[in-house]
Amino acid sequence: MSLTSWSFLLFAAVAVAVYYILPKKRRWWALLAAGVVFYAQGGVSVMGYLAVTAVSTYLAGAALGKLNSDRRAMPEEKRRESRGIFDRRRHLIVAAVCVVNFGMLFVIKYWDFTAEAISAGTGIALPTFGLLLPMGISFYIFQSVGYVVDVSRGSVSAERNFFKYFLFVSFFPQMVQGPIDRFGRLQPQLMEGHDLDTDNLRDGIQLMMWGYFKKLVIAGRASVAVAPVYANGGAYPGSVVAFAVLMYTVELYADFSGGIDIVRGTARLFGIDMAENFRRPLFSVSLAEFWRRWHMTLGAWMKDYVFYPLSLSKPFAALGRFSRKRLGGTVGRILPTSLATFIVYFIIGIWHGANYTYLAYGLYNGGIITASILLAPTYGRLKGALRINDKSPLYRGFCMVRTAVIVFFGRYLTRAPWLKMSFIMLRQTFLDFRISALPSGLAGLGVGAADIAVVALGCCAVVGAEALEERGVRIRQSLAKRGFFVQWMGILVPLAVILFFGILTGNGGTADFIYGRI
Amino acid sequence: MDKLIETLSGVCPGIDFASETDLVDDGLITSLDIVMIVTELMAVYGVRIDVDDLTPENFRSAETIYELVRRAGER
Repeated sequence: MSLTSWSFLLFAAVAVAVYYILPKKRRWWALLAAGVVFYAQGGVSVMGYLAVTAVSTYLAGAALGKLNSDRRAMPEEKRRESRGIFDRRRHLIVAAVCVVNFGMLFVIKYWDFTAEAISAGTGIALPTFGLLLPMGISFYIFQSVGYVVDVSRGSVSAERNFFKYFLFVSFFPQMVQGPIDRFGRLQPQLMEGHDLDTDNLRDGIQLMMWGYFKKLVIAGRASVAVAPVYANGGAYPGSVVAFAVLMYTVELYADFSGGIDIVRGTARLFGIDMAENFRRPLFSVSLAEFWRRWHMTLGAWMKDYVFYPLSLSKPFAALGRFSRKRLGGTVGRILPTSLATFIVYFIIGIWHGANYTYLAYGLYNGGIITASILLAPTYGRLKGALRINDKSPLYRGFCMVRTAVIVFFGRYLTRAPWLKMSFIMLRQTFLDFRISALPSGLAGLGVGAADIAVVALGCCAVVGAEALEERGVRIRQSLAKRGFFVQWMGILVPLAVILFFGILTGNGGTADFIYGRI
Repeated sequence: MDKLIETLSGVCPGIDFASETDLVDDGLITSLDIVMIVTELMAVYGVRIDVDDLTPENFRSAETIYELVRRAGER
């Protein structure tokens, strides 16, 4: 069931009605049932994968919860003595749950790619399975494993009731493309029987409308030129290729952030505030900041569960001692952290998919960010020598443009069907740009002036709204303080725009979400 | 405390550690800074800081970082 379908809206409306009809203590039942119905449409095998994750992480959480409570009950001295044994046991449980879940993800998502790569490299034929990627598996596995680590660290208590835990794993709005929420933040909200609140309903509907606007009006039209150019980039002049990559950059942001707005808006209808996943990434002044503002829940997951443990691990501590002694200076001090950063961004790259393009994307992001860390002292000296005020609006504007350009070139990699095509497209852009060929090229792709105008105006609306929010203006909260007429206009005007530009005159070919295929 | 502030300033120049009280929420330090601060503290003070200690609460100010180092030294 696509988030952009009428059936989803009907489904959400029924779920909302049932939720508020049930007694407050039983309202979570409605969410649980909605999650099961929503996901069961994918078939038995899809539910099987979800069950493996839910059961394995639930059992691991229960075992860790018992381990924690047993240890807390010990006298202080014994607790201190048993720390080593306790740590080994909890690490073992976490490792086991990681093997089960990431092993399953590896087989489904990465095995065929790995087997083909090994076969191509060594000539040893390995079997491939051709398994379909179940909806949202990369998201719910990360969310569930995060719960296990949180219980292991004692930052949350283990959930005893399996059905309550299963709701955390299968809350239906998040099943398509996240966000990857935390147990300690989401679970109390899922369990609380929220009162029917018109503010929540209006807020949720407005957020959903904004999401549909981005998805149906902007992403839908921006996608027109994307597929044919990425499929056969060598056949187009560089100006058309660059235009298609730009449109893909727009499409990806409108598609993913729009989808998340729909998800968070839907959750808001139940009074639930899901984790923020985007914080105006266009205003980032560095690639590292971009990744703190883009897909924030994945970045936060990577920070807490990969970057921190890796950076403080024994091998990295040994590397730190070595580099301080042998290299000395700033480089010696920051080398291990830089390496950990590189590894994290590499993992983020391949998290997106099993393809050499994503390997290259991970190397691209990891390489640039690592280089920027290592070169930061040099930049500092250079800025001092050139008397650049790095807090001035002009310099910040320059940094934003520079970041946008870096992100733009990264998009040559992520959409191409194979890596060679990315290089072909780059070659066309730099060696055969031919701006004069752009109008005829776009006409050949079926991109009309109306499409470009709608995308451009849509982008202006998004950038304008985000610029206001960047300055601290909270648009929906401001609307809520206005009169009844203005509040309803905040819903009806976007609705009219979506109906006309997104559905009636849109291309209607983008019901799926790009991140829904991850 | 003076030695700690000197150490912190060496890792993150340009931040007034003596007066800032919300380093994380004010966006003055990132996860990268936190790891660089921790590795520096472990090297300078010879303490072992665990990954479980890397919470925003422990890095709000020089005082909370001081407390973290003190607790780590007692372990």
